[in-house]
Amino acid sequence: MEIWRLPISASQRGKLISAGYTTLSSLSSISSSDLARESKVSESEALDILKFASHSHSGGWEMSSGNCSIFEGAQNAWDMLHEEESLVHITTSSADLDNILGGGIHCKEVTEIGGVPGIGKTQLGIQIAVNVQIPHGFGGLGGKAIYIDTEGSFMVERALQIAEACIEDMSEYNRFIRKDFQACEIRMQPKDILGNIFYFRICSYTEQIALINYLDKFISEHKDVKVVVVDSVTFHFRQDFDDMALRTRVLSGMALKLMKLAKKFSLAVVLLNQVTTKHTEGSFQLALALGDSWSHTCTNRIVLYWNGNERYAYIDKSPSLRSASAAYSVTRRGIRNSSSSCKRIKMM
Amino acid sequence: MIPQNLLQSTTQKCTTGCPILDRLLRGGIPCDSITEIVAESGSGKTQICLQLSLHAQLPVSHGGLSASALYLHTEFPFPFRRLHQLSLSFRSSNARHLPCNDNPCDRVYVQSVHSADELLEIMSKTESFIESSKTQLPVRLIVIDSIAALFRSEFDNTPVELKRRSSLFFKISSMLKALARRFNLAVLLTNQVVDMVGPNEGINGLRIGNLGCLYTSGRRVCPALGLAWANCVNSRLFLSRHEEVNREENGKLIGESGGFVCKQTRRKLYVVFAPHLPESSCEFVITREGLFGVEITAC
Repeated sequence: MEIWRLPISASQRGKLISAGYTTLSSLSSISSSDLARESKVSESEALDILKFASHSHSGGWEMSSGNCSIFEGAQNAWDMLHEEESLVHITTSSADLDNILGGGIHCKEVTEIGGVPGIGKTQLGIQIAVNVQIPHGFGGLGGKAIYIDTEGSFMVERALQIAEACIEDMSEYNRFIRKDFQACEIRMQPKDILGNIFYFRICSYTEQIALINYLDKFISEHKDVKVVVVDSVTFHFRQDFDDMALRTRVLSGMALKLMKLAKKFSLAVVLLNQVTTKHTEGSFQLALALGDSWSHTCTNRIVLYWNGNERYAYIDKSPSLRSASAAYSVTRRGIRNSSSSCKRIKMM
Repeated sequence: MIPQNLLQSTTQKCTTGCPILDRLLRGGIPCDSITEIVAESGSGKTQICLQLSLHAQLPVSHGGLSASALYLHTEFPFPFRRLHQLSLSFRSSNARHLPCNDNPCDRVYVQSVHSADELLEIMSKTESFIESSKTQLPVRLIVIDSIAALFRSEFDNTPVELKRRSSLFFKISSMLKALARRFNLAVLLTNQVVDMVGPNEGINGLRIGNLGCLYTSGRRVCPALGLAWANCVNSRLFLSRHEEVNREENGKLIGESGGFVCKQTRRKLYVVFAPHLPESSCEFVITREGLFGVEITAC
């Protein structure tokens, strides 16, 4: 644990750090007079600091981690907040969409994206699988992607097109931001991007469950996987299930495993879902497929819909984001801001 | 389980037999994927299906799949005469790529289907049929013309029946996709349209793809079989037709004196949704020789 978590004043902290005491363990075997002399604080201050430090070390402070855990690996909310702030999000390539998502698709979370056929679910899935590979230098994760295709809608030619546009955008950004162009030239090729997408084509729900059980092992061997996209989670579960209770159990078991993967490997899970008509009190309404109990299993829920001739995304459920909607468009280059909203900004 | 190498897999396409339509579709109808053509009757659905069945026989170097076609028809009768007519022009324009003294119709296997259950039965047999077919060209194209005819009468409009129907949709679709995957087949289905009664949006305010373009014969339509089925196909194309009355320069109708009006049909193909294609459209004509795209030049 580091020194900055101690409840001491900023100046004291600064003095400690400049004297080389950065971790609690470095304070564990030092006398107060030595500390006072080396870090140029008063003796009583040094005494306090050591008191805090030892307290914190033995688990007395609510901010400490690790040692005070009842279970191994448990974290408290404070630690989790800091960890979350340090996590990089996966951009969707549409600034408006990123905006309502709080920066993009979150790692360590399961995000469900649903919408009618042709709204752009697969496009968004491919875009995320490409964007997760944007290197650290460009504000990305520099990770790899697993793409689980249950519907056969993943088209290599389209992925290549999106990858090319992504690299173009990065070199554009490079020219714009950096003066030493040579130093940070992009070495990525569209082919590399395709090579970093682990693509699995699934033809039945048993295969789907088997693959998701296998993912833990696969990702342990490929630690740089940062996103798992399932396109769509629904397709094979909409046939041959007469026993709906069984379906619900199978689905929630699968969702639990995905959630565990997200936490364990700090990766984002994106599940694409279809929509269906729901029959309630004599009227039909549109709802995401797989039923009510499934709707509890995903952390975030995003619904894509048409509004006039524009595509919109709406945050239906999220523990941390307010519900909001944003327009986006599907272009030759991939997911982008809606062109009409760009015009609006220009006019303003 | 080993991930597939995306760098080595390119999607093969089957040419439609017309360079302009191929350009719109980026090479034709993709393999390992289900493509659906939606249109009202008389728009040219069957024409495309017949033409594609013939062109699948072309060698891969010429945009075909060098394969035979399995043609399942649910609407009767099967247009044998038209297939024969198309095969003549197909053979004469592609003589170099085909074995001589050979009838292209021999490599279009035709099977009639009367019900959804029969379709399932046929599809389970298809696997062994494809595997065992000792013909020089393996089957690599399945056409179902039309899928809608199987479902439009057999089911009642009750929740239980509708549920059974949509479960069947997903079953058929996943069987087709599994076949398409296993043998790298192209699958082409046709679907009918229903009139749209609601004010602006589709049924229950539902929009699938860019509905703005779905006008045919001056009516607003939407694809039959509803939302559940729309989830079962990968790409959806739409054909529209509009009758246009030919006018003479002075504005007088041609043949008006004769008691009937000379009409011309303008046809258009739209991409409603497809994972690899932008929303786009192209006019086409149907002639004796087949179906051809028309590029509209600015005049």
